[in-house]
Amino acid sequence: MSPPRLTGALRSFSNVSKKEDITEQLYDLKTKRLKRQELFAREGLTWQKIVHFCTEHQDKAKHQAVSQELKSLLLAAKQIVGTEHGQEVIESAAVFLFETFHNKDHVGTEETRAIKQMFGPFASSAAEASCACVARLLAPLEDSRVEDFIQIQSSRHKSQRGSTFGRNIAFSYDSYTVDPLEDLPWSGLQEGNMNLEF
Amino acid sequence: MACARVPLDEQSVTEPGPLGKERTLPALHPERKEERYFVPYKPPPEDGSPAEVEEFLEHAKFITEDLEWLLALPHDKFWCQVVFDESLQRCLDSYLHHAPRGLDLAAVPSSPAVADMQRSVHRAVFLTFLRMATHKESKENFITPAVFGEIIYENFLFDIPKILDLCVLFGKGNSQLLHKMIENIFTQQPSYYSDLDETVPTVLQVFDTILEKCGLQCEGATAMEPMKLNAHKQPTALTMSQQDFVDIIMYLCDSTTTIHAFLDIFPAACSSFHSHGFVSRLTSFYGSVVPDLEMAIRKRNLDDKILQEDLWKRLSHSCRKMVETTHLLLHHTCLQPILEGRENMETFAEELLQHFTSFLPEKRFLSDYDEQFPIAEDVSLLQQALPVIDETRTSYLLQGVESAWDSIGRQKPQSQIEPK
Repeated sequence: MSPPRLTGALRSFSNVSKKEDITEQLYDLKTKRLKRQELFAREGLTWQKIVHFCTEHQDKAKHQAVSQELKSLLLAAKQIVGTEHGQEVIESAAVFLFETFHNKDHVGTEETRAIKQMFGPFASSAAEASCACVARLLAPLEDSRVEDFIQIQSSRHKSQRGSTFGRNIAFSYDSYTVDPLEDLPWSGLQEGNMNLEF
Repeated sequence: MACARVPLDEQSVTEPGPLGKERTLPALHPERKEERYFVPYKPPPEDGSPAEVEEFLEHAKFITEDLEWLLALPHDKFWCQVVFDESLQRCLDSYLHHAPRGLDLAAVPSSPAVADMQRSVHRAVFLTFLRMATHKESKENFITPAVFGEIIYENFLFDIPKILDLCVLFGKGNSQLLHKMIENIFTQQPSYYSDLDETVPTVLQVFDTILEKCGLQCEGATAMEPMKLNAHKQPTALTMSQQDFVDIIMYLCDSTTTIHAFLDIFPAACSSFHSHGFVSRLTSFYGSVVPDLEMAIRKRNLDDKILQEDLWKRLSHSCRKMVETTHLLLHHTCLQPILEGRENMETFAEELLQHFTSFLPEKRFLSDYDEQFPIAEDVSLLQQALPVIDETRTSYLLQGVESAWDSIGRQKPQSQIEPK
């Protein structure tokens, strides 16, 4: 809980602020995650593009194996997002996992955090399975080709349009700290305490 | 994309609607807002269990990601989001409410990851407010000043408590930028001066509340009704619970620091405070509350000596801020006009001398003030600017200052003692 503040009193007792209904808790993490998934699904890379990319550079003889890996990746994605979701959501989650693991050989802290932020708590076995699937899918392909594909298709990896406001502003992280008067020595306190003993 | 060299409030845009059909809308229109769902800010956990830390990091990551997205939006889209996205306003408000101040008891984050994330949110929030306080970003991207004033005021993008929060959170190292922001806000929307005027009595009420809580001024104290001898059983600084006592010191520390930060960054506000008799209220508050709280810190049986020392420093810090605030107010409302040679210099000089004279009975305040801002120096400045000033009066004042030092049994710093 925040300590008592002047501005808290001003908000409560003056009429210069908007009166908020503090009981309203509309924006929880679950809603936020769903919104992020929705926004991610609208970004450039799609499941169809991944399927095409993974099969186009492979011998036809290997298509069966590729198809199996892709199915496994979808299955892992389904385990992560939950079984109640439709095909579209599962494919979008598989795209996310593909992007997350395309240059990783294991599930690290960053990847775990990214998946949790997108989908909430998940089974680690599903993340490990998807990481392994992506590794097997991309093993026959050149790294640079994979990187190019991700860079071109995924808007997450594109640099943000225009310039970000305030990018060049020198910002200071300094904050006010306790700055006592020099002439109010702490040592005087000891005397006060000693007097109390009597 | 909106058209160039026309203010945003007069622009319209043609873009595909929800069904894919082209439509023309004002550039500032609620339907142009993106559904983003900004989450409210939660402060870093104090004890830092791994789950709580993880939750904080996740929350904060969402906020920085979203604010960075917002800051990268083109001017027209940024303003649509700012004006029409309530979740964004809740997020920013929650930061101002809950962000840890440097003066809080647990101001140090529990881990480097938490500290880094907190810094990222801190910067992103500041830049968002900075952009919201800027009506002209470039030759092409601007809002008609009067409309800008209306937008920020009517939508509560800024209000007086928010401005005070901005000062205390960001003012230490960004005072120049904050000064420009606040100056622009008040210039484009003078209604903020009326709001400030309305807020000052509530600030004074906060001081009265502290006095009341310490049993130094009870409700109806000024009423003429006689009170029963045993009717007054309000807790005092010495008898209230330890938590209440700590809260009082924290409240005093926060209030005095916030007011000082605001007036220091935006001195134009000094006249509003001054017109409500803030100086005299502050000095009498100081005289009542400071000795009482000092005595309570000394005499209370606080088990934790580190806490006792910390409270002492916070009280001393509050004293400094009250003294500095008084000086700011006197400097900007009385002394500065004299030094600038404005009209009616005599009136300003008279007011300053009256203030100094009114300090004479408040001996503790007077000596603390004189230590930080020697009154003799200001009197000397006055005499140089206005040689007609009555010397008997200034001598009486300076003698009063000396006797204040004597009466509280303290010695003036050596640097202030003139060689005889």
